[in-house]
Amino acid sequence: MTALFTATLAQGELPNVMSGVTLYHFLFTSAAMFVIGLIGFLTRRNLIIMFLCTELMFQAAGIALIAFSRFWMNHTGETFVIFVLTVAAAEAAMALALVVLLFRRKETLDSSAWREMKG
Amino acid sequence: MPQVLSPILLYIGCAVGAIGVILSLPRARFSLFPIGSLIAAAGVGVVWIGLGATYPDKIPNYHYYIFSAIALGASLRVITHPRPVYAALYFILTILASAGLYLILSAEFMSFALIIVYAGAILITYIFVIMLATESPSEEQPDVLNEYDRVSREPVMATLAGFILLAALSSMLASGSAGLRFDPAKASGDRGLEVMTKKVERILRDAGQLGNKETILVENGKLAMDVKARTIKIVQPSGEVRTLTSGEWPEALRLSNTEGVAHALIVEHPGSIEIAGVILLLAMLGAVVLARKKVDMDEQAKAQAAAREKSSEAGDELGIEGRYSPPGVGEGGSPS
Repeated sequence: MTALFTATLAQGELPNVMSGVTLYHFLFTSAAMFVIGLIGFLTRRNLIIMFLCTELMFQAAGIALIAFSRFWMNHTGETFVIFVLTVAAAEAAMALALVVLLFRRKETLDSSAWREMKG
Repeated sequence: MPQVLSPILLYIGCAVGAIGVILSLPRARFSLFPIGSLIAAAGVGVVWIGLGATYPDKIPNYHYYIFSAIALGASLRVITHPRPVYAALYFILTILASAGLYLILSAEFMSFALIIVYAGAILITYIFVIMLATESPSEEQPDVLNEYDRVSREPVMATLAGFILLAALSSMLASGSAGLRFDPAKASGDRGLEVMTKKVERILRDAGQLGNKETILVENGKLAMDVKARTIKIVQPSGEVRTLTSGEWPEALRLSNTEGVAHALIVEHPGSIEIAGVILLLAMLGAVVLARKKVDMDEQAKAQAAAREKSSEAGDELGIEGRYSPPGVGEGGSPS
């Protein structure tokens, strides 16, 4: 059991458990999650869920960044993920304040209630 | 350059996945989510089997497959669940599974930061707003879902667009990243150790490699050590310089993940913390300005609210509690 944990969480060398997984595995997960978020943003009509889908896309970008960071064995990708977290927090604050404002105006979260903004 | 995955298999997987997602998106009359999710899972399975067949001699990393399956399944449920609160809870599950993926990639600090910041703070804000900005259910049908939650907009076109993007993106990655195995030779290594004099000295003294009066040689403000070759130059009391070979390099002398991230953040990218601080400050100002703004309900919504008020008063007569209004303010308060 301890051998398993030290192997999985090893810092310097390549853990044995890593062997069957390439960078591409993680990039595929990241791309699939990004696309699911994109589809959700396009299809759902609830404003809050649309913003939740953008968070899903942020998350996918984070996985790709961490995978590249591991691949090059440096920590630059991880500092970028800190940046992604910052942007996500800022986005959550702004977007949710906006959603509450829009809800107070129309009493609905339906994005098509704001259809007239299409011009 | 050899391919990681044959493009035919990838396209089949994407097509099957697209059909599954189209079926599982919320639709007007009945939910096909169970069938749709199974088909989508089959699509991902085709791609994974293809990936597993690329290196059949290697032991597959089952942690990756477990966490990845949970993350993708939960994110599919985020976009298909008709109730926003459940969607937010499934998003937390996605976050936890992604934190597991980060752990496999030995990014421990970011993994825990992700759970604390995302699942602990951002998602709780979302759930608060979902509860703030939800229409009160009417008395006749207390459990009915909103029409805009039940029916998705343009499911077929959006899914096709998304999966064409996925197929193009990942087939390009598959041909381009064939040689991209994890390679320790490319590591930039624990270069951060060169500026951590105290840590290196303490570890060397604990390991008995550095005598009491010996110090480590300093060149150009950095310790004279070669992290890749694992050698350190040590100044003896007599003034002579001896070299610690890689055989004597103590096992404990390495950078932990947190130290590595801190070093990368503060020494290599000091500007990013400042920019992150400015972004957060401006977001806070923006949120305060938005929240203080007084908004009037528009005419149509006012009419609908009045209709709801009326129906809740009818509810009072039946002994059901109506819409809450503060005492002494509204004329529609309940005369108990």
